[in-house]
Amino acid sequence: MMQKRSITQKLSRLLANNAVPVIFIFISAGAIPLSGFSATYLIQELLIRVGRNSFLILSLLVPIMAGMGLNFGMILGAMAGQIGLVFVSDWAIVGIPGIVLAMIIGTPVAVALGLLCGNVLNRAKGQEMVTSYILGFFINGVYQLVVLYFMGWLIPIASPSLVLSRGYGIRNAISLLGIRTVLDRLLPLRVGPFDVGSFHLDVVNIPVATYIVIAAFCFFIVWFRRTKLGQDMRAIGQNMAVADSAGIPVNRTRVIAIVISTVLACYGQVIFLQNMGTLNTYNSHDQAGMFSIAALLIGGASVSRAGIGNVFLGVVLFHLMFIVAPMAGKNLMGQAQIGEYFRVFVSYGIIAVALVLHAWNRHNERVDARRSLRGPTDAKAKEAA
Amino acid sequence: MRALQRSVVLCLILALSVGLFYIGREHQVFLDNKTIEVDGQSFRALKFVKITVRTQAGDAPTIELMPRDRDLAKVTGPSFQIKVEVMDEFGEKVEKVIEKDLTPGFSKDLMLSMPLLAADRDDYILPPPAVQAPSSERDTEPSEETLALPTEPVPDP
Repeated sequence: MMQKRSITQKLSRLLANNAVPVIFIFISAGAIPLSGFSATYLIQELLIRVGRNSFLILSLLVPIMAGMGLNFGMILGAMAGQIGLVFVSDWAIVGIPGIVLAMIIGTPVAVALGLLCGNVLNRAKGQEMVTSYILGFFINGVYQLVVLYFMGWLIPIASPSLVLSRGYGIRNAISLLGIRTVLDRLLPLRVGPFDVGSFHLDVVNIPVATYIVIAAFCFFIVWFRRTKLGQDMRAIGQNMAVADSAGIPVNRTRVIAIVISTVLACYGQVIFLQNMGTLNTYNSHDQAGMFSIAALLIGGASVSRAGIGNVFLGVVLFHLMFIVAPMAGKNLMGQAQIGEYFRVFVSYGIIAVALVLHAWNRHNERVDARRSLRGPTDAKAKEAA
Repeated sequence: MRALQRSVVLCLILALSVGLFYIGREHQVFLDNKTIEVDGQSFRALKFVKITVRTQAGDAPTIELMPRDRDLAKVTGPSFQIKVEVMDEFGEKVEKVIEKDLTPGFSKDLMLSMPLLAADRDDYILPPPAVQAPSSERDTEPSEETLALPTEPVPDP
């Protein structure tokens, strides 16, 4: 009886831990045939989107390792990357040098913002996620002040195609034609066509250079976990008080975790925008944090536990939904907008679901821990009563 | 010692940035075939001219200019080569071929006068004309509403 119960409990625990990816797999399985897209189209779109978004999502792993939850403050890094891109566009630096220079310009800005964010979060231990979320709004205001009023006035921007007609401030949209898909096209690889039985796959383009950069980042994460700093972060993530007692500089390590995440988010945003080819000056960074966090959670990660596997599973499932939902909505309801609403609802809703599941799991763990402390005497006492 | 190491790293990053700026800069080369007066002397626009701008990435398409024409070529990198073929008015016979190596370096744009180039003068590089900003609906200053509530759909990530 006890064994049966434990198997049931294990199964329900497994399902509870992976509820979000399971739900998404089922939704996608239903939406793909409804959308009517070919396998070639889906694979090509997924290859592009995985390359475009993975770097941004991977930047979330370090703060989770340090027990700081989901870093909603990653948009600070995204803003830093955009500032780098504005300067690169003004100076007309194109190609790979343009991307690298944008990253170099964005790095000190990202470090400064990361230091600010890390120090603020150290004063709000336990409420890191909501604090970083609100901090994102605050820094967004500062970013808009700098970009809308200081650039072209205090900060020299020479290109008339960037500056508003009044003489200062940056335009709403900036064309990144000079660096558009340069990383993706650096090492192009064409695969196909394939015919396996009745399954036909046309030519698919793989952006090899982008995937090499992402793979290098994955190796960095794996290596970083084994370093002294990485071990310190994991110790802090497990128990801050114990880590402090063990002599680990908790506050400093947490600040470093946020700085690393912010700088990597800056690079991720540059990679993201080079693929998009357009910088939406006042909006591009807004959704970076939300969509990255949603994708990570859909991959089965939680507030306290995330790995590289969660990143790639999440980005595939989330973007599969992005691709198929509008067309599935159109074919099902006659309106693509329905699918689009569903997609937006899902992306925000999934964060709420994941946070609720996390809270529920933690509650269950606490209940289990209390129950185990009572031991068998508690059950015997109940029987006696 | 640590300060020294940091200074060296900072210098290396700065040097890398300057290098990237130098090799990655895109230059707008204005090719001008208008009659020009220099030192009281008038140089008439060429009847027909073919120009090939050769960059590090390879040959750009050949540009053909008639009198009073002005065209634009975009080149990337610190230097480029230009080949100017001065043709007769029917565009059949090549009267003169001029090849030049140009190094704009850190400067952004430059304008080349074809009549001065054809006259073998050294002052064929002119200051570039003011670049006009592209006019579009987006040129207008974003209002409070535009910033708070994006009017266009959220970009697909």
